[in-house]
Amino acid sequence: MDSTQLPLILLITLLIGAIITPLIMKKFNWIGKRMIIGIMSLAVLMSGYLLFDVFQNGAYLYNIGNWDPKIGIQFNIDEFSTFMAFFIILLAFLIIIYSIRDIEHEIFPLQIPVYYSLVFLLLLGMVGITFTNDLFNTYVFMEILAMTSCAIISIKRKKANYMAAFKYLMLNTLASISFLLGIALLYMATGYLNINEIGNVIGEAWELYPTNILLALGFIATGLGIKAAVFPLHTWLPDAHSNAPTPSSALLSGLVVKVYIFVSLKIVFRVVGADITLDNLGINNFIAYFAAVGMVAGSVFAIGQKDIKRLLAYSSVAQLGYIFLGIGMGTAAGLTAGLFHVISHGLMKTALFLSAGAIIYKTEKRNVDDLAGIGYEMPITMLVFSIAALGMIGIPGMSGFMSKWYLALAVLEAEQPLYLVVILISSFLNAVYYLPIIISAFLKPREDGSEEMTRDGIPKSMIGPMAIIAGLVVLIGFFPQIILNIIEKAVLTFI
Amino acid sequence: MELLTMILDRINYVGAATLFVIGLYTVLTHPNLLKKVIGLNIMETSVFLFMVSVGYVSGGKAPILGTVKEPIVGAYVNPLPTAMILTGIVVAVSITAYALSLIIKIYEAYGTIELDEIMEARSEQANG
Repeated sequence: MDSTQLPLILLITLLIGAIITPLIMKKFNWIGKRMIIGIMSLAVLMSGYLLFDVFQNGAYLYNIGNWDPKIGIQFNIDEFSTFMAFFIILLAFLIIIYSIRDIEHEIFPLQIPVYYSLVFLLLLGMVGITFTNDLFNTYVFMEILAMTSCAIISIKRKKANYMAAFKYLMLNTLASISFLLGIALLYMATGYLNINEIGNVIGEAWELYPTNILLALGFIATGLGIKAAVFPLHTWLPDAHSNAPTPSSALLSGLVVKVYIFVSLKIVFRVVGADITLDNLGINNFIAYFAAVGMVAGSVFAIGQKDIKRLLAYSSVAQLGYIFLGIGMGTAAGLTAGLFHVISHGLMKTALFLSAGAIIYKTEKRNVDDLAGIGYEMPITMLVFSIAALGMIGIPGMSGFMSKWYLALAVLEAEQPLYLVVILISSFLNAVYYLPIIISAFLKPREDGSEEMTRDGIPKSMIGPMAIIAGLVVLIGFFPQIILNIIEKAVLTFI
Repeated sequence: MELLTMILDRINYVGAATLFVIGLYTVLTHPNLLKKVIGLNIMETSVFLFMVSVGYVSGGKAPILGTVKEPIVGAYVNPLPTAMILTGIVVAVSITAYALSLIIKIYEAYGTIELDEIMEARSEQANG
């Protein structure tokens, strides 16, 4: 089969899903549910085939409408983009299966079709950013992503959600404007918007207009720093991620922030190039400083939280630090570790948010102190939570341990052992706030005093995805080679 | 005098930078949510002005073909930034619309759109 057009067809499928969901579904009935699952499985198959095809026949560039890449839009279909697109869609598929029962609890029935429309648009934005090889197109997808990710927070009609969404929207738009100004400055110096074309002439432009490119990098870094919640710019994240409906939290925390990391990778390694960013300016050192501060500070903030979803949101700030620390090493090993953590954090944080959501679904308990004995009430849910939480701490056997292991090796290889201490401190801090939850859930008596073990009492369509994700966490923990082989090839497209 | 001509030659860029700073200041410091949105719009306008100025060629014509397809004689303005800014304006309008609708919802929920009053109401709620 000729798969050249597949990337565009994949995006169009998601777009069609976004349009027809609210048209067909007046009520949230079984037709609508099956249609959503159907479109998502189609997307999973297509992205899986793309990944397979790229590994079989090699990477290629796809020009939309066959326009000259200098003025048209180009997709870069390589090992990195197809793998990440596949990961995004697969994880989103599991979250959507979970959401079908959960979302009825969280938002008004009339808005459910609109919610899925927004989720499809969100996926379109994420996959688009991963594929695109054009800076302005990145900006457009980014705005789609920014608006839909605010909208899936504010769709829950609560006071706190409006404020969280507004704060997120303001900072997100500020970041987008800053990014656009950066693109304009790059365009001014190089005359291109295509990433490969800029990469070809950037050396010349750097000699002629160093101020322009420096300024552009500054604006782009600020913009992406806000969107990817690098430590001092993270203030929107806890509000937004903790107030959102559970499936939205999982999507936002597990996937959306990661996409901006991909953009920053493209900027640092492809647009401006490692010669300028790493050797001349040493941007990676700054990334690593901020990442290290974030790793510790995010965990410290998380210790003080009582609301379980807020705790998880602060933990995201710390975990994003790990990814940026890997990138900040500026070596192939560091980048591999960073991308590995993108995958493993995506899985673990999704599992954590989904299991926390399941606890809220059944018991309405959000406070960490109320969770005593919940392990007997909801054994499978708490098992999933424990697996993911132990992974976050870095217990061997979970994927989190492997990503910390590779990160530690990369840090040592780059001869910056101080960061190893930071990784260890951050791991201990993770243990400080995750272990008490697990201990009180399984070892403390329940409030009502009963000691018998009960079934979880939540729908199977919610348990299934959680169990699959927890299974993947353990599987990758024992056999990291499964994804490491792919990531090592993906890293080669950058360095 | 030399400085003055230098500034006058780059008046577009100076204007864009000034607007950007004004907008940023408004967004960051003003407690009124509506004015924050206005500040964002000013910032967006500044970037649009900047990007269009990048594509401007002095003495250039608009790159429009006549009714009969004939090549444009002489210099013409780079149409790519202009076309992109059209997209940018659409994005800006939709974000403004969404932000305004959120502000209406916030007003319904809290009865005010001053950020400090909302914060006060929220902290009272949290403490009592």
